[in-house]
Amino acid sequence: MTSPSLPSDPISGGPMSRGPKASSAGSTPASALLGRILAVGLLLFWSLGPMVWQLYTSLRTPEALLAGWAGLASGWTLANYTQILTGDPPFWRYLLNSFLVGGVSTLLTLLLAIPCAYGLARRSGALRLVMGGTLLATAVFPYVLLFLALLEVARHFGLANNLLALCLPYAGLSLPLAVLLLQAAFAELPPELEESAVLEGLSLLQRLRWILLPLLGPAVFSTALLVFLFSWNEFPIALTWLSRSELLTLAPAMARIAGSSVYTVPYGAFAAATVLGSVPLLLLLLVFQRPIVAGLTQGAIKG
Amino acid sequence: MTTPTPATSASVTVTSATPGSSTSGSLRLEQLLRRIGTRTIVDHLDLTVEGGDCLALLGPSGCGKSSILRLIAGLDWPDAGRILLAGRDITALPPVRRQVGMVFQSYALYPHLSVARNLSLGMEMRGVPRATIERELDRVLVLLQLEELRGRRPADLSGGQRQRVALARALLRRPQVFLLDEPMSNLDAQLREELRPQLRTILCGGSAPVVYVTHDQQEAMGIADRIAVLRDGRLQQCGTPQQLYEQPANAFVARFIGRPEINLLPQPDGSLLGVRPEHLHPVGEGGIAARLLSREWHGASQQLLLSTSYGPLRWVCNGDQPVEAELRLGWEPRRLHRFDGRSSLRLPD
Repeated sequence: MTSPSLPSDPISGGPMSRGPKASSAGSTPASALLGRILAVGLLLFWSLGPMVWQLYTSLRTPEALLAGWAGLASGWTLANYTQILTGDPPFWRYLLNSFLVGGVSTLLTLLLAIPCAYGLARRSGALRLVMGGTLLATAVFPYVLLFLALLEVARHFGLANNLLALCLPYAGLSLPLAVLLLQAAFAELPPELEESAVLEGLSLLQRLRWILLPLLGPAVFSTALLVFLFSWNEFPIALTWLSRSELLTLAPAMARIAGSSVYTVPYGAFAAATVLGSVPLLLLLLVFQRPIVAGLTQGAIKG
Repeated sequence: MTTPTPATSASVTVTSATPGSSTSGSLRLEQLLRRIGTRTIVDHLDLTVEGGDCLALLGPSGCGKSSILRLIAGLDWPDAGRILLAGRDITALPPVRRQVGMVFQSYALYPHLSVARNLSLGMEMRGVPRATIERELDRVLVLLQLEELRGRRPADLSGGQRQRVALARALLRRPQVFLLDEPMSNLDAQLREELRPQLRTILCGGSAPVVYVTHDQQEAMGIADRIAVLRDGRLQQCGTPQQLYEQPANAFVARFIGRPEINLLPQPDGSLLGVRPEHLHPVGEGGIAARLLSREWHGASQQLLLSTSYGPLRWVCNGDQPVEAELRLGWEPRRLHRFDGRSSLRLPD
């Protein structure tokens, strides 16, 4: 599915196009360059600032946080990290829970959404419009309004305090958007590709496995990421369905850390939890950066 | 990447790789009908293509020519009528059992696979043994001069090379019938003319019937043994290029075949008088009086637009022919076509 040596685009990568670009960069006055650096710097500050602040907070003692900027030389500590990592249950337990729920929800969603999207993309006319509209309406419905009803469902079926049961609402809530995204990607593939495979005797599953899914790799990746992120960040359902501390996912666990004391706000510990909670996501993004970017700039498929 | 190929299933599917299995016969369409909603796309079509013959389906876009190909391939189903291949009724067969070799207008190459995998994927999936696949692959790669490109992706190929890969994929199936859907339309004009004879030798050398869809009358005349002219899903005329040129069955065919377009002059009795621009010549007296409007000089020939009392008139003559501003043009009686004014059908000479 991944292509290790993607050929660079001959149009944008060729020496022909590099020539004029280089010369225009050479003639740029210093002030314009300065402006560009400033703009990029502001953008970086805007997006990275809060993360750096969080990292800073997680490494300071409570006293140092209150002292402000005065004593930057002292007051550094790893105590916040040791505190949450040696807590009961240790913090990595929540990470593991979130990964498990996220992974299974994502798999379940894709398993249902791919056939669904394929079927929808191969329809035409009124039926497709109606189904697409319904899916869109479901996708934009604020799911928070559902969580009380979902709680009743969980209670009735005895799904409370069952980690994997969380995957059911997660997959269900992600499904409409996933189907819509994948359906658009399927519809964008030229139909002759599949017809040609039909003439050659490939079965439906073979066509999906060897032709359609490899070509939709980027779209599948970005859809999977959206589902995973939703499940990673989801709070109300996880909060109400889970109560045993060793089963908590990241979001309710962090809420518990933040509210662990009535008299103080444990800024340091909370910040440490935030940092540890974002690191796996950053790693995930770094690893799958290329297919995700490709998925966001769909249309590059047409060969 | 290699798929498990159980040796037992090989004997079933290996037919496509047996040399000489393409001793195929003719393709016959009988009263073929295809409707989409209330629109009739293909209207009770009867056509026969002998083995080894190349038939061009010619017509303006939307005339149903591509739909006919899809019906033969089995990608669409007819509402009525029969399709016979080598005497066998294939109307109800699924596409894969019809053994058609099809070249799509867009070539439909799998963009994520190399040339070699593009060609071999179908055989792999059908469970053809590896050794047979290699042998067949080498055969078509050599035939179409693609050996050096076997590792490339379609995106790294030129238009002409992509077309050859698509052809190779069609040939690999050792098809009972070749179907080509505007295979030249993505190529520039010069390449098209270069490739035409090559395409003819590759396709028409075999014994399978070839159905070639195009909207370009010049291409149809250059490549096909016979041409079927279509309009709104109905067959207008089917014959050799020469028959269509010399004896067009109606005014539509007359206009569609031959460039520049035939002159159709309305007569007082309501009929149409057709005379091709290349069959006009200046006369001292008689004929029709004409006045020069514009002139395009092409070197070997020149194309002139004249105004007459019947309306505008096109005339093509030698490049060195002197042309006066006022002249009279005539034609030999045997070059004259007459069409009924209402039905536009050809009137007896």
